[in-house]
Amino acid sequence: MSAKGKMTRRDFLKTASMGSLAAMLAAQGLPLAAQDAVINIVSSGADITSDPVTFRWVDSGDQKAVFWNAYFAEYMEAHPNVTIQYDALPWNEIAQVVPLGIRNGTAHDVFQRPLSVTLAQAVNEGWVAALDDIIPDFEAWKASFPGGVFVEGITGFNGKTYSFPATSNKRYGTHLLYNVAYLEEAGVDPQAGPMSADDFVATAKKVTENGAGRYFGFIMGGNQVNRWGAIVREFSRMAGAISMGVGNFDVDLSTGEIPYTNPLYLEAIDVLLRLRDDGSVFPGTLSMNAPEARARMPQGAAGMILQGPWNIPIWLRENPDFDFNIAGQPLLDPPTLVPITVGPGGSNEIHVNAAASDETKAIAGDIFHYLGTYEGQVAWATLVGAADPAIFAEAIAAADMQPLERNALLMFNEQVRVGPSQIVRNAETAAVNLELRPVTPNLAETVQGIYTGQIDDAAAALADLAGRANAELDRAIAAAAEKGADVSRDDYVFPNWDPYQDYGEELYAEL
Amino acid sequence: MTTIQMPLPKPIQHTRSLRQRIADNRWVYLFMLPSLVLTLMFTLYPIFASFYYSLFQWSGFTSAPHYIGTLNFSEVIVDKQFYNAFKNSFIFMFCSVPIKLSLALVIAIVLNDRALRLAPIFRTMFFVPVVTTTAIVGIVMTFIMSPFNGPINMIMLDLGVLARPIDFFGDPKLALYSVVGVEIWKWLGIPMIYWLAALQTIPASLYEAAEVDGANWRHKFAYITVPLLKPFAVIIVLITAVGTLNVFALAMTLTGGGPYFASEVMEVYIYRTAFGAANSLTLPRIGYACAAAVYFGLSVMVMATLQLFGARWANKERAGLSAAETTAGGA
Repeated sequence: MSAKGKMTRRDFLKTASMGSLAAMLAAQGLPLAAQDAVINIVSSGADITSDPVTFRWVDSGDQKAVFWNAYFAEYMEAHPNVTIQYDALPWNEIAQVVPLGIRNGTAHDVFQRPLSVTLAQAVNEGWVAALDDIIPDFEAWKASFPGGVFVEGITGFNGKTYSFPATSNKRYGTHLLYNVAYLEEAGVDPQAGPMSADDFVATAKKVTENGAGRYFGFIMGGNQVNRWGAIVREFSRMAGAISMGVGNFDVDLSTGEIPYTNPLYLEAIDVLLRLRDDGSVFPGTLSMNAPEARARMPQGAAGMILQGPWNIPIWLRENPDFDFNIAGQPLLDPPTLVPITVGPGGSNEIHVNAAASDETKAIAGDIFHYLGTYEGQVAWATLVGAADPAIFAEAIAAADMQPLERNALLMFNEQVRVGPSQIVRNAETAAVNLELRPVTPNLAETVQGIYTGQIDDAAAALADLAGRANAELDRAIAAAAEKGADVSRDDYVFPNWDPYQDYGEELYAEL
Repeated sequence: MTTIQMPLPKPIQHTRSLRQRIADNRWVYLFMLPSLVLTLMFTLYPIFASFYYSLFQWSGFTSAPHYIGTLNFSEVIVDKQFYNAFKNSFIFMFCSVPIKLSLALVIAIVLNDRALRLAPIFRTMFFVPVVTTTAIVGIVMTFIMSPFNGPINMIMLDLGVLARPIDFFGDPKLALYSVVGVEIWKWLGIPMIYWLAALQTIPASLYEAAEVDGANWRHKFAYITVPLLKPFAVIIVLITAVGTLNVFALAMTLTGGGPYFASEVMEVYIYRTAFGAANSLTLPRIGYACAAAVYFGLSVMVMATLQLFGARWANKERAGLSAAETTAGGA
């Protein structure tokens, strides 16, 4: 614009073209301007070097990458001498890249731990640095988080903190996401109240009939085997077969027993079998992974999918014309809605490489510090939404979030609670995790086998699985004890566990 | 009786030492050195390392593997999933090799006909899948063979061949054989080139002479082509068979070994036990996977040994044929 305040032809063209670009980006669901606006780089007081330095970060990406890409761009602008290499990798690659990097000295400065590596192991192996010495004003920073985020045994040992759960884990991955038009056509409104499993099966059938071969009632990524286990486990848990994950199986931590012989598991499997027998399942479900199934929904291939909140921002961004909504998971026994329980701490734990240079550790501390501020949490909630929820409740309330994402978070607030953890109770049970071997076939594989007809007797298969899981837990406990860990099966029994309440410190103290 | 003492010929003695002989041929050894080093690094070391790590309980994460002797081997040998994968690998091989080699031979014979002017173009067309990235072929094939809007199902439904679409990779009865089908299409070009090379060693004069004697194409195939290809066939069969046991990329991208292990071949099994537990909360079992790999490697080694004997037999046959040819030419 000219100095006199009049708009010149050049100014007009520039403004007009920027406006067109913004309109186009908005139409594409890429709110870049908004992203830039929510991130404000503020110095934490960390001593950031002025020399050229490359800082490397690896995590599992997904919606988190939206935040980090925007944030790192801003950070590099504020610190032109810092080059940030951000690698968003799938978990199976993290499981290979991180350990290899540690061994050959090329690991990223900040990384997510492979899912199968416990924090105890990472600390014992010298992979991760204590955050106490890295994050500026650490004690005040840590105190700004709500209780239950930093838990001894989960995020640290011996008073030192080694892991920062960047997001809340209060969510679950099998809630209903549906095509509004198809369900309206079928005369069903999931917003009217929790849908029963029977209604779910009937709705899928009705949608399939309406689709007449063009679309189907239900779709899932059946080639991604863990999806079979997730659906059956969460259906059963919400109906009362409470459990927590141990190794690659589940343990009812109220009794210490394996829950697979609970009839609710058979009922949950029966829901899938009824969908199959009705012809309501999208053809090819068995040869499609979860992202493929997710991508089929906006194409109108199916009416319903049981998935997680991470689909919401993706569909909003990539398929702005897709009219969808969310609801809770269908209930096996409608009056009963037992909250899904998650472990203490949080999700998306990030760590600073112990072998990183002091310069990059300072940068890591600076960035971690930002996530502990109100501004950082609001920025996270705005850009990441419900996919990986921010930790500060007030940030979620203040964030400029899509209504669907806000609804999802409200739903999780009602339907998710923190369960007990044997590691919090007795840190030495981490040694059992090191001994646990995968039970094969596990629940997910067994359910897939039942669905495909490769396993005839579902009850016998579940009983066999329970027996094998039981034996494996006993074996791993014995092996850990033999190596000196003070552990027993009693560490896995929490008689005072009430799944309707968060399992807090006072309940551990009661044991 | 007078005996005539004939002086015995002196045995040939290598008067030059090994060091001298190496020095004499130093350029030969020098030029061999790069491939020798690469072979040591990428073939021999992994083989020995696999065996070494199979004796340990090791997740790959810890710095100190725990020695457990042969426990991994005794555990693998009673694992039902191991036998299932082993069986699937050999079913795969026994289905793929005969079909692939027969098809490749037919195509090679057709393309070897000098009357076919467009042979180089067809040869290239059959070879294009070979040079296409396997993982991409796998992903594209899942779309092409999809039961929902996949072109293959659509064509068969339109033609009335099918009443319902086929879930090639989702049906446990079909999954393994569907992967075999894709594998045959993908790698058909390799044996085709082998057969073409073999066919081009057969002198045209033999066919011409047979034609003069009134032989038709069937006679020429049965009495000239087949006998002269036999020595090559042994090698081609064995190379192809061993190659067919290495189908990791296709199996992973097409089915991931599923559904419910229906198409899990040995390489997928080894990967699953070594790294596949990454999405669960249990540690990978590198030592266990190595033990399974050692068993599988031994079975492939048996085949490689057969290949060695086959190669020797083939060389003898070829030498015999060459001698006969020379004699015939001299007469």
